[in-house]
Amino acid sequence: MPMKRIVILIALLAVIGGGWYAWREYNRTAGPTSELEAAEAIEAAALLQAYTADENAANARFNGKVLLVSGTVREVKAPENGLVDVVLETGDPLAGVVCQFAQADVPSALTAGAPARIKGISTGLLMDVVLQRCAIVE
Amino acid sequence: MTRNLLITAALLASLTASAQERYATRTGHISFHSDTPMEKIEAHNHKATSVFDATTGAIEMAVLMKGFEFEKALMQEHFNENYVESDKFPKATFKGKITGITAEDLKKPGSHAVTVEGDLTMHGVTKPVKATGTMGMEPTGAIRATSTFSIKPEDYNIAIPGMVRDNIAKEIAIKVEVDHTKM
Repeated sequence: MPMKRIVILIALLAVIGGGWYAWREYNRTAGPTSELEAAEAIEAAALLQAYTADENAANARFNGKVLLVSGTVREVKAPENGLVDVVLETGDPLAGVVCQFAQADVPSALTAGAPARIKGISTGLLMDVVLQRCAIVE
Repeated sequence: MTRNLLITAALLASLTASAQERYATRTGHISFHSDTPMEKIEAHNHKATSVFDATTGAIEMAVLMKGFEFEKALMQEHFNENYVESDKFPKATFKGKITGITAEDLKKPGSHAVTVEGDLTMHGVTKPVKATGTMGMEPTGAIRATSTFSIKPEDYNIAIPGMVRDNIAKEIAIKVEVDHTKM
């Protein structure tokens, strides 16, 4: 095969490969949190304490990262818009660690007082520390 | 001594009365929508906080920028890293006042047209915002507030690269739906 044809073939393959990658990347959705590696494991009370002690430092350390948070369930809220909030006890009655689950991902056995290990992505501190896309770790 | 007790009791009574007119939520829904012929973009955040004082009309809201969820992961990454820079500016806040409704209006079911006016801070920039909306008591007892308004990204120093300029609307529609409960 002449060199010119080989070059054209390689260029064509590069264009198709690049297009396929761009299309796949554009349509990529967030994968399940349960399959992601946790950047850090921490107790719920310690997580709230870190945010309240120095919010800027905690933002830099935790925001956008997958955390494995352990604690006792304070409350499992009623579903709203297909989402369920599970609040972990922190010792502070006015603030908790709120883990937002898709309704289908909340085990029925998860009730107030139960111990839990939850993976979620920290978004920061408002009245509570808020974790999204949460998943139970068995 | 008796006078001091009376003053203390009166102060406590007035504080209690005032506190009874405050409503709050930690699960407000804020979404934004950009619609162009090239692309439709929307994102939702169900964790906005809001505190409303029915005696004064004062309202304060806050939302975490990393809490906005998009259908496509790449859009969410670009939103956080390139546009709102959520590592540098993790929250957006609104402080303002709602007019057109009284504390009495919120004691019976119904929806009222209201105006909300205040300062929206996002991406480190504070701008005045004025919008219309509705507010009233739902049959469940929740105090529902809704509003839709538009903002221009450049007003908040959010730069849109020329390459995707046609994919993003010049004005982004912000929709607010908040169900408060009594504090």
